Amino acid sequence: MTTTISLATRTSAPTLKRSPSPWMRIALRTLRNIPALIGFLLIVAFFFTALFANFLAPYSYDKQDLDNIEKPPSAQHWLGTDSLGRDMLSRLIYGARSSAFVVLLVTVVNLALGIPLGAAAGYFGGWLENLIMRTTEILFAFPGLLFTFLIAATIRPAVLDWARSNGFADLARSGYLDYAVVIIALGFVGWAGLARFVRGQVLTVKEREYVIGARSIGVPTWRVIGRHILPNALAPIIVALSMGMGFIALSEGYLSYLGIGLQPPNPSWGNIAAENFGRYWRTFPQFLWLVFIPGLILTLIVLAFAFFGDALNEALDPELVD
Amino acid sequence: MATFLARRLVWLPVVLFFVSILTFFLGLYGPGNPINIMVGLKANPETIERIKAEYGFDQPVYQQYFNYVFKAVQGDFGYGLVKYRDQPVGRIIAERLPVTIQLNIAALVVGVIVGIPLGLLAGLTRNSWFDYSVRFLSLIAVSIPLLFLLPFLTFIFSRRHDLVLNAANLQFAIGPFLPMVGGHWDGILSTKVLLPILIESLGIVAVLTRQMRAGIIETLGQDYVRTARAKGLRERMVLLRHAMRNALIPIATILTLSIGGLVEGSFLVENWFGIPGVGQLALDAFTAREYYIIMGITLIIAVAYVVANMAADLLYPILDPRIRSSK
Amino acid sequence: MGTLLEVKDLRTEFHTQDGVVHAVNGVTFAVDEGETLGLVGESGCGKSVSVLSVMRLIPQPPGKIAGGQVLFQGRDLLTVDDEEIRSVRGNKIAMVFQDPMTSLNPVLTIDTQIGESLELHLGMTKEQARKRSVELLKMVGIPEAEGRIEDYPHQFSGGMRQRVMIAMALSCTPQLLIADEPTTALDVTILAQIIDIVKRLKRELGMAIIWITHDLGVIAGLADRINVMYAGFIIETAPVKEIFGNPLHPYTLGLLGSIPRLDETRKEKLTPIEGLPPDLVTMPTGCPFYDRCRFRTEKCLHENPPLEVSAVRHSVACWNWQDVVKARGRA
Repeated sequence: MTTTISLATRTSAPTLKRSPSPWMRIALRTLRNIPALIGFLLIVAFFFTALFANFLAPYSYDKQDLDNIEKPPSAQHWLGTDSLGRDMLSRLIYGARSSAFVVLLVTVVNLALGIPLGAAAGYFGGWLENLIMRTTEILFAFPGLLFTFLIAATIRPAVLDWARSNGFADLARSGYLDYAVVIIALGFVGWAGLARFVRGQVLTVKEREYVIGARSIGVPTWRVIGRHILPNALAPIIVALSMGMGFIALSEGYLSYLGIGLQPPNPSWGNIAAENFGRYWRTFPQFLWLVFIPGLILTLIVLAFAFFGDALNEALDPELVD
Repeated sequence: MATFLARRLVWLPVVLFFVSILTFFLGLYGPGNPINIMVGLKANPETIERIKAEYGFDQPVYQQYFNYVFKAVQGDFGYGLVKYRDQPVGRIIAERLPVTIQLNIAALVVGVIVGIPLGLLAGLTRNSWFDYSVRFLSLIAVSIPLLFLLPFLTFIFSRRHDLVLNAANLQFAIGPFLPMVGGHWDGILSTKVLLPILIESLGIVAVLTRQMRAGIIETLGQDYVRTARAKGLRERMVLLRHAMRNALIPIATILTLSIGGLVEGSFLVENWFGIPGVGQLALDAFTAREYYIIMGITLIIAVAYVVANMAADLLYPILDPRIRSSK
Repeated sequence: MGTLLEVKDLRTEFHTQDGVVHAVNGVTFAVDEGETLGLVGESGCGKSVSVLSVMRLIPQPPGKIAGGQVLFQGRDLLTVDDEEIRSVRGNKIAMVFQDPMTSLNPVLTIDTQIGESLELHLGMTKEQARKRSVELLKMVGIPEAEGRIEDYPHQFSGGMRQRVMIAMALSCTPQLLIADEPTTALDVTILAQIIDIVKRLKRELGMAIIWITHDLGVIAGLADRINVMYAGFIIETAPVKEIFGNPLHPYTLGLLGSIPRLDETRKEKLTPIEGLPPDLVTMPTGCPFYDRCRFRTEKCLHENPPLEVSAVRHSVACWNWQDVVKARGRA
């Protein structure tokens, strides 16, 4: 009794234009948004600066110019110098390298833990899923950053003690172990969100006909996940990563600011801010540039990731178009 | 619904158990070694043995854990090791906790009072210049780090004419807005805490504004709102009775989740302004390697967070009848 | 009987990013007191938009009523102030929507949702409204109405919710009931029940009805008169028997050809109408049905046919309707 008019063929087909690939369209839609475009350019500049820090920085990050201590911006030192006569611009440029290094490595750790664990939980279910999901729930029982603080604060001294008493004193002194501490602390917590998300995606795709079909003809499990399930979840994962990167940069900043992340003389925007806050806040606003600039740069990068991620998210979700 | 709540209630102690184990091992048995901190790396073995016995570190690990948890439940979180040597951690935290709680509640209240109406207005005047500026500013406020916000807002809100003075007497120069000099806490109603509260609440204001805007736009597009209009109801009624309630449901979750952000924020805010709360204590403990204090604070915050989430789960069925009767 | 509602040259458009969507393009029709009018067409043909325009329920922006008149009992609803249109909505003209799952507010009790019209338009107290709500629920055949009045919408099945919607619409005994595809979201047995209820209530209460559907079969036994809409135009209007017995527009013919019949042995396959309706942003200058029409001529490409009287109470917007008659005779 119910009828609908079936629409068999298009008699007046519109002229077929070669439309751009979906990825291209998403990129265009994202970058049409001006703040997102600015964000994207800032992100590119951030990684570029990090990669070529040694070419871009006029001085080394720890070179002291004892004739110029606490000097305001000048032709010689564009952003002035700090209390040890170090060039602020150079320290900030190398700070970008620290930040980018941490951001990329933590992202890799998150991906390496989050995707396999989330996919396994969603695909296999059962006790494995229970174990993985309950673990993430326990991790979520702590406010995220606080847990990071806790881990960094507790393992840092231990890692350093261990290195010292096992003949790695130089390594401990170099401060490179601090990077490891920060990456462990952030990586330990960060994968949980991604794992939950991937699991959700896997669950929705798992019962689709083509996945059942692929399994029924004996395609190996890892291949079903890799070829059929993950590609479908790729776009939202990219959004999550983009947003996550800003959060990682921010967390590294906080850890270093609080003295449980990267330590001076290794430059991090967080510890540069802390050094200068501590020293110059009392003489505020005389050394305004030293107090504001590290925080400002971190802010710009965090905002860049936020605006870019936000626009990317809207570009990927056609229903969200305003 | 009842089974759902029961499951959550059973899950609560499980989470708390793991939270306490994690805290305990990270603090005492993972990497850190309190004895080294107390006696130094080069102490003679006898001293170490004596201290071990004195603090119970010679007992089996599980025994120590149970001792710790058992005492923690009674409010005894151990003793200070170095800076706060032999002072009860429970009391140290208890002195600081009210300050942080008051500060965070005040920030939460400001967040709700400002964020919800702002989001509502933005949603109702969608795509107006007001909406655009609210959206833009809230996105900035959500992602702007305290590292910038703290000096920046302090700068903005200080009295300009004083700022040009030399800064030796900065404490007085910034006038009513620079609070908490020397760890003196005047209570939450003091004007000194206006700026810290404002800064702490900014993130919540932004998040609530965004959620409320999105929520009201979504609900106003719902079929039942059209039905309400088709009945001839006034727009005010449509908004208050039909749209607002549905739009407010997700706010409960947002609020509980924002508690985490607030606590993290108080680490930085309290230090910046010299407010003698738990955040300041925590940083002190980080640098002084006061593991019992770190553990105590972590445990308390984690418990509060878990319980708050639980409360949100209980609140949901009150707000949303669909959940009330589902299984 | 007198004319209750008269819609004259109504035009509604939507201003979107892709351009102006011409959803309703000069629609004229009338509803007599107590008459049942069927508004038929495929989705996107402007049938819902035209009745929502009558109620002034088009979301503005992006929607805009660009012109025309809606005379209800002599007053133009498009020009009266907000206060006055509100006193008509839910009171003299009431509406039942397509999806009963989403058209009721999930967080309010049925009592509240029915009662608010009664309190608003009839000035009842809470107690009176509640009593009346129970009566209304009984009237639409909801069992144990007293016990269910405090329930929430999700506690009802789809068919029951649509009954609640009808009870709500009829609460103030409107003179005109607009039913916007009220049965589309329901399954077939429930659909029949709902139609029966509406038929019975129409007999009892004597209101006029505009029933919107994409399914000619649904309103065959319900409507007095049928308007067929296509691309924002009314392309044929006639009493229900005429539409089924003497369809003059090629589109109407196509619609009838795609109804499966159970009472005849099938001689041929169901014939779908091929193609798609025109893009409502870049409307063609000629007949909107041109692309899909079997009877098209050169004239159709350039001139859009007006709705012209072809027989008693029967109008059609087609240059070649006589060819349709001939072709029907041959078939």
